[in-house]
Amino acid sequence: MNTLMRMTGIVALALAGAGVTYLVRGAPDRSVPCDPATLKPDEVCLARVIEEWQGDVLWVDARSRAEWQRAAVDGSLLWNIDQQEDMQAFEAEGAMQMMDGRRVVVYCSNENCGVSRQVADRIRAMQLGNEVFVLRGGWRALEVAGTKGPPTRSGAEPR
Amino acid sequence: MRTICLLWMMLAGGLSGASLTFEKTLLELTLAADATTATVDFPFENKTDKPVTIARVDKTCSCLAAEVQGGKLTYQPGEKGVVRAAFDLGNFTGVVDKTVVLWLDRDQRDQPSVTLTVRVHIPVLVAMDQKTLKWSLDAAPKPQRIDLRINYNKPIRVLKVTSSSELFKIELKTLQEGVHYELWVTPLEMKQPGIAVIRIETDCEIARHKLQQVFAVVRRDLPGKGVTTP
Repeated sequence: MNTLMRMTGIVALALAGAGVTYLVRGAPDRSVPCDPATLKPDEVCLARVIEEWQGDVLWVDARSRAEWQRAAVDGSLLWNIDQQEDMQAFEAEGAMQMMDGRRVVVYCSNENCGVSRQVADRIRAMQLGNEVFVLRGGWRALEVAGTKGPPTRSGAEPR
Repeated sequence: MRTICLLWMMLAGGLSGASLTFEKTLLELTLAADATTATVDFPFENKTDKPVTIARVDKTCSCLAAEVQGGKLTYQPGEKGVVRAAFDLGNFTGVVDKTVVLWLDRDQRDQPSVTLTVRVHIPVLVAMDQKTLKWSLDAAPKPQRIDLRINYNKPIRVLKVTSSSELFKIELKTLQEGVHYELWVTPLEMKQPGIAVIRIETDCEIARHKLQQVFAVVRRDLPGKGVTTP
């Protein structure tokens, strides 16, 4: 019983400490970390896209069509590798949109999803000459960035 | 106090990184041109001294089915198992990577313990030396060509070439029927940007190789690089 009371005391103290920390420091930072020093050569941080490039890029969404329809970057182009999709239609639409020479930034669900890199490779293989990057943190980074990120739409019909 | 310390040590010990050891996390397959599916096994073993549970198996493409063989998810120390990945090849050609991601019971949401990659080599039967022909705006409208060769044990003939734009003249030259072709493209308008999506239809019996697509582009030079191919 004595042990149980001590444990309860420790838990109560820990909770109190956590509460004070929350009140003093605010909510925890849930932003997706992106250290430029750790980026792979073809990766980019969201901050660079927004601050340095002013968001003037062609966003390519490499997630599933259903996810893209649910919420996506406004004006983004769906381009995944699902075999039900028409890859040549993606290429044709992508080529049209890359005509202006904009940089292309590809995102998928999160930093563990490898699809964005595969789509980026496919875009590069088209040899149009645009610079193509993979967004570190993917859709999760965009979601967390909220108003600091590019405008996103939710539940809207795809273009 | 001693009991509390013991409880704490047991809890902390349980949270330490128990994992599964895979013989290989990258498997490569070279397939026949007409293969439609590919299946690979990733054998693993629990080499730790604690039970390990696979909490979630995720795949990056609807073309991939991944499962732990027998549906068994918890592995005792020394126990072995297999993750099986089946890949529907669809319209893919060339080298394609597909990944399967495994979360173990104590993994954080954004930090799965295991990433398995299937690298599939699918022969390219209709090989082209370029995917896009480019001209700079206001440059001379010099014709450019794409070399098209058939890499198959029987001839594949080009049946039709269509373009999405009338601002480019397209000409197909047959060097050897069913084996070697040249596609010559000449832009007719150099004063304004333009693009043509050129589709090449063949009589290839394998659906994924039947239709090819290339591009012709007239546009302003991109910063730091010209677009004209001599």
